[in-house]
Amino acid sequence: MPAGELTRYFYDKRVREIFWQVALLAGLAGTIVVVVRNASQNMVNAGMASGFDFLWRTSGIDVPFVLTNYTPDSNILALLWVGVANTLVITFVAAIAATLLGFVIGVARLSANKLLSGLAGAYIEFVRNIPLLFFVLFWYFGVIAALPGPRQSIGLFAVAFLNNRGLTIPVPTDGTAFRIAALVVLVGFIAQAAIAIWAKRRRDATGAIFPVWATGLALFLGVPAVAFGIASVVSAWDVPALRGFNFRGGFVLVPEFVALFAALATYTAGFIAEIVRGGIQSVVKGQWEAAYALGLRPNRALSLVVIPQAMRVMIPPLTSQYLNVLKNSSFGAAIAFPELVSVFVGSALTNTGQAIEIIAITLAIYLALGLAVSAFMNWYNARTRLVTR
Amino acid sequence: MTAASTLGVRPVRASLLRRLKADYFSTPLNAVVSVLCLAAIVAILVPLVRWSVINADFAGTTRADCTSGGACWVFVKARFGQFMYGFYPPSERWRVNLAACLMIGATALSFWPGLPRRALAVPVLWAGLLVVAAWLLAGGAGLPRVETRQWGGLMLTVFLSVYAGALAVPLGILLALGRQSELPVIRLVATIFIEFWRGVPIITVIFLASLLLPLVMPAGWDIDRLIRALVGLAFVIAAYMAEAVRGGLQAVPKGQWEAASAQGLGYWQTTGLIVLPQALRISMPAMTNEFIALVKNTSLVSIVSIFDLLGIAQASLADPAWVGMNMEAYAFAGTVYWLICFGLSRWSRHLETSRKTTH
Repeated sequence: MPAGELTRYFYDKRVREIFWQVALLAGLAGTIVVVVRNASQNMVNAGMASGFDFLWRTSGIDVPFVLTNYTPDSNILALLWVGVANTLVITFVAAIAATLLGFVIGVARLSANKLLSGLAGAYIEFVRNIPLLFFVLFWYFGVIAALPGPRQSIGLFAVAFLNNRGLTIPVPTDGTAFRIAALVVLVGFIAQAAIAIWAKRRRDATGAIFPVWATGLALFLGVPAVAFGIASVVSAWDVPALRGFNFRGGFVLVPEFVALFAALATYTAGFIAEIVRGGIQSVVKGQWEAAYALGLRPNRALSLVVIPQAMRVMIPPLTSQYLNVLKNSSFGAAIAFPELVSVFVGSALTNTGQAIEIIAITLAIYLALGLAVSAFMNWYNARTRLVTR
Repeated sequence: MTAASTLGVRPVRASLLRRLKADYFSTPLNAVVSVLCLAAIVAILVPLVRWSVINADFAGTTRADCTSGGACWVFVKARFGQFMYGFYPPSERWRVNLAACLMIGATALSFWPGLPRRALAVPVLWAGLLVVAAWLLAGGAGLPRVETRQWGGLMLTVFLSVYAGALAVPLGILLALGRQSELPVIRLVATIFIEFWRGVPIITVIFLASLLLPLVMPAGWDIDRLIRALVGLAFVIAAYMAEAVRGGLQAVPKGQWEAASAQGLGYWQTTGLIVLPQALRISMPAMTNEFIALVKNTSLVSIVSIFDLLGIAQASLADPAWVGMNMEAYAFAGTVYWLICFGLSRWSRHLETSRKTTH
């Protein structure tokens, strides 16, 4: 091969592109081979077991906060499920509380009353500039531990009691009515989604506007309120009562749960408040004026022009905040709240010693939950991004 | 519309009382809100000031000196050395102070407008600083060795933030470029790397690094456990930095690439000379925010028994000579974190506004 042809190859863009990609793949493959060989060598030397058989072994671990039918006699797979369930529950309740608190503070931040907006601003700056771990420890060791004992509990409407052993709440003795209510609410949500799609099609085709907001309000707030209201009236309740030195009956939300919930909700609310403020402020005044100039009434301008644009700004960071709540629920490990990291990477790993498998499973669970949200966000980002040439 | 304003006559400046009324008591609802806010401020500030200043004890050396019932700052005073330096030997603490001074100097120099050949000078300056500071802190080559086990407190928080940040910024820039690359394999690898580290909690990454890194090393190699945590933190932050840089890259108009190609510049020349300088200036506030998140997340190393500022404050509560100092320890650690992060976030906001005026 003459030298000229070689240099031509070297300067060919396609050849170089393929070369770099092959080089990257080769480098990665080489790293993986070395890592796997080292790991298996080290594991043989240390006499460590491998494989996923340990999942079916009896766990023998006592967990203080269980929502499934797990007992210490169950296997480790059941223990894993306890962790996942607790992670999902704390994420769900903390995300809802953070959203409510965050919207209130975010709107307060925009208030014309300088006292209110200043107070909201101070809250946001306070919460955002301190580590979440600080708040988790503070709520657990500083607040909950300092609460009075069961006999001097702080009563909430005489049905729930807060003390240094946690929050004791009443539970229905039979959950059937609540399951039916939840089903009714779910049907309502699906109906609302169907109405929204139908109304948009009709609007695009004929221009006629259907009051989607009214049915939405009814189906999202009215139906759940009525359904759960009826359920709570017809159900029998197990109300906690003081017997001797502690409460009998009801369900105890352990102090770890209360502390983690309070920390996650108040911390995340500071971030959501900023997102809400930014979203509302991002819609320039000209958009309102332009909408009026086209003859839209104020509520139409809001729902057709301003809200879609504010949501475009708010939805991606909001989604990422919910993702953060999911990931930050792992801070429970710092105060031994039995969520996924605490029971699995903590207790199960100590018992079995199978670090690689346990960490791989834990990461896979977080990734499966998180990647779903990431994929949605990227799709949304691509769909709503302003496209240039 | 009043008569005065329609006639174009400017009204005289309203009196303070009238302005107060207009701002805070214009409607019944506004008045209620104002009163409630005022009550909330009083309810928070009065007990806080009473506890932390009026009823607090400042003088003394032991717990017995705290008699007023308020905050016992004597505790923080007695523990101050530990909160700052951990268990770093007191005779060697000048090395930490010197390293901190060098770092402040390097930061100031990086933002000095008269710095010649900034694009080259800043990375070289920081690389040199990191080597010198690591030598000062760890010792060896003439200085007595100080094991990382003895490091702790604020010094460790700053160490982890600076070194993880310094690893994460170049890695993040490469990842962001990889994710925007036209080559499918490179794009795929960069995307998987970024989404993997962004998708998992930092606590699990710190466990991963401290449990699995020694396992994948050749037999007989031992990595310092502080370095393990540092690598774990750096990978996660690199993924977040990459997304911050990507935002900047996306904001550089395509025409910039096309114009550079038309001038005959290759990929690395276009990237290094045309696109990155613009993209980094745009992403600077976002990158600062990621750095703030990093400073806060360094507190998680206490999970694997490395005692940073928060970890050492928590550990100090177990001292039987100082029982019940929870609030004092938390107040001190929280204030230090707050001052650092608030300062950084103000600076990030300043960057954002100063960028707007240059365009």
